[in-house]
Amino acid sequence: MNSTPVLVIFVASIFTNNILLAGFLGMCSFLVCSNRIDTAFGLGAAVTFVMLFTTMINYLIYHYVLIPLKLEFLSYIIFIAVIAAFVQFVEMFVERFSPKLYYALGIFLPLITVNCAILGASLFMVLRKYNFAQSTFFGLGSGIGWALAIALMAGLREKMGYSNVPARLRGPGIVMLVTGIIAMTFMGFAGMLKLQ
Amino acid sequence: MSSDVNQRKGIGTGFGGGKGRETLGDGVFKVNPITCQVLGICSALAVTSRLEKALVMGGALVFVLAMTGLIVSVLRSYMPRRIRMITEVAIIATFVILFDQFLRAFYYDMSKQLGPYVALIITNCIVMGRAEAFATQNPPLLSMLDGVANGLGYAMILAIIAIFREILGNGTLLGYPLLAGTGFEKNLLFALAPGAFITAGFLIWFLNTLNPPDSTEGSP
Amino acid sequence: MKDSVRTLVFASVLGIVCSVLLAAVNLYTAPFRKANEEAEEVLNILSVLDIQVDSEFDSLALLEVFKESVRVKDLGDMTLYENVSDTSATDEPYVVAVPFSGPGLWGPIHGVISLDHDLLTIRGISFYQQEETPGLGGEIGAEWFQKQFEGKEIVSAAGEPGFRILKPGGDTDSNSVDGITGATMTSERVQSIIDELAKDLWKERSSYVQ
Repeated sequence: MNSTPVLVIFVASIFTNNILLAGFLGMCSFLVCSNRIDTAFGLGAAVTFVMLFTTMINYLIYHYVLIPLKLEFLSYIIFIAVIAAFVQFVEMFVERFSPKLYYALGIFLPLITVNCAILGASLFMVLRKYNFAQSTFFGLGSGIGWALAIALMAGLREKMGYSNVPARLRGPGIVMLVTGIIAMTFMGFAGMLKLQ
Repeated sequence: MSSDVNQRKGIGTGFGGGKGRETLGDGVFKVNPITCQVLGICSALAVTSRLEKALVMGGALVFVLAMTGLIVSVLRSYMPRRIRMITEVAIIATFVILFDQFLRAFYYDMSKQLGPYVALIITNCIVMGRAEAFATQNPPLLSMLDGVANGLGYAMILAIIAIFREILGNGTLLGYPLLAGTGFEKNLLFALAPGAFITAGFLIWFLNTLNPPDSTEGSP
Repeated sequence: MKDSVRTLVFASVLGIVCSVLLAAVNLYTAPFRKANEEAEEVLNILSVLDIQVDSEFDSLALLEVFKESVRVKDLGDMTLYENVSDTSATDEPYVVAVPFSGPGLWGPIHGVISLDHDLLTIRGISFYQQEETPGLGGEIGAEWFQKQFEGKEIVSAAGEPGFRILKPGGDTDSNSVDGITGATMTSERVQSIIDELAKDLWKERSSYVQ
């Protein structure tokens, strides 16, 4: 039972407790995928969508199926299966009803299944004992926070095209350093919450 | 043009076994080893705040990589093509859960400190990558050895980052106060997330300098 | 067709083998895991009561020590843990531990406070779980902050029950401690938690203290 207000959870998951910048999750698909802003936004939107719904579905399955049957130890496998299945359904759905969107998004959807952040969101939800409302806003906020971080990084990488990055630092190296600095700035958001 | 369309259409068809997914899998997992190493490390950076945590995580990786390599290799001729990836994920997940259960039973304190990051080994690029790239093509014992080797390499990287972070961020190493009484002020930045990213960035730079990757493309 | 059947058979066999293996391990580790979880709560109480333990990691031993040395009593909405062991640090009558929890800024705060048997003087306090900002609000978990509470009382000099956490640098008396610079909100939250705890203890005190 976690008494933290939903708004605090939502804001914290975007800024101070950002799942990428503070939780280290989800760098995987980004590093490989792209260094352009428009693809980053697309991936971010897709991840937010999947994160929101899989967190909700996993909550329901965890609390109404796994706990009553005492099968909590299977939760990791079930969560991953749910995520993979959900992405699959979304793909089929989008392909059937909007081929245009499908061709635009097509490359992302398989990438999302291996995105550590999506599984991570479900795991954190269980660990912190969130209720359904908290879990939903946590999933939504984490997705938005992830998308924000990715978009920021893509923007910076585009700008870095004009910089003289040392040869051996290019690629993962400089991305890590830049992420560290962004993470530092996000820590500064801790002072912005003034709730009663 | 039509082959382009077909290629796109191939993405995702068949639950985990589609052609597009395989190609994408190649892209993600057979990529430059250092990049894949980095991808695998990023989700474990959280545990590098203390050397002890990093070592246990490294041990988990060695276990999961070794056992996954072994079992995937043993089953490689029986795995139906369509569900190859799911099978690999299932095998990985089983061993991760096993490790997690034993950790909770016999090293509970560490289990709490590691939190959800043990479970996140399931989505770790390196584990899936080695299973796909090596274990499906090689005999069991060799695959197991490959798993151990990769696990140890990974553990070493985590340990190096952890050494920096623990000394600078906490003044201790493996819990032993190293810098106590020398007027050393704990550097909070290294104890927290930014320090991990920055240390990792410098380490990657160092490793790339020692061992230049095949191609450092023009764009950063 | 044959391909599909083979796929199905393989998947089923794999699924069954994995499930059985995991269920077996789950069953085997269940008693250890349960003991670990109980011992974790117990450890917090034992340490704030200053009861020595040989090893923090031996859950079964911890539970043993707890059973022997601590008596549990209910008081109103609170649960009291009395140190009845002979090996306590002082030879005064028992020390009492009271767990508490409340909302912090970013997440719940859980702690235990230990008091003299007269439920008046604070012996020690521990905030063992919190999610406050590291370096700022997170300092409530630091030794310097918790040490301030030792020897303080839950009533003011004027006899009013409660507790205050002041802005750092202020004049603290027997009923207040210094807050944390730059962590006003967390300090306020902690103050309201401890203040309410003090008031509850004062209310129930008469039915407990002889």
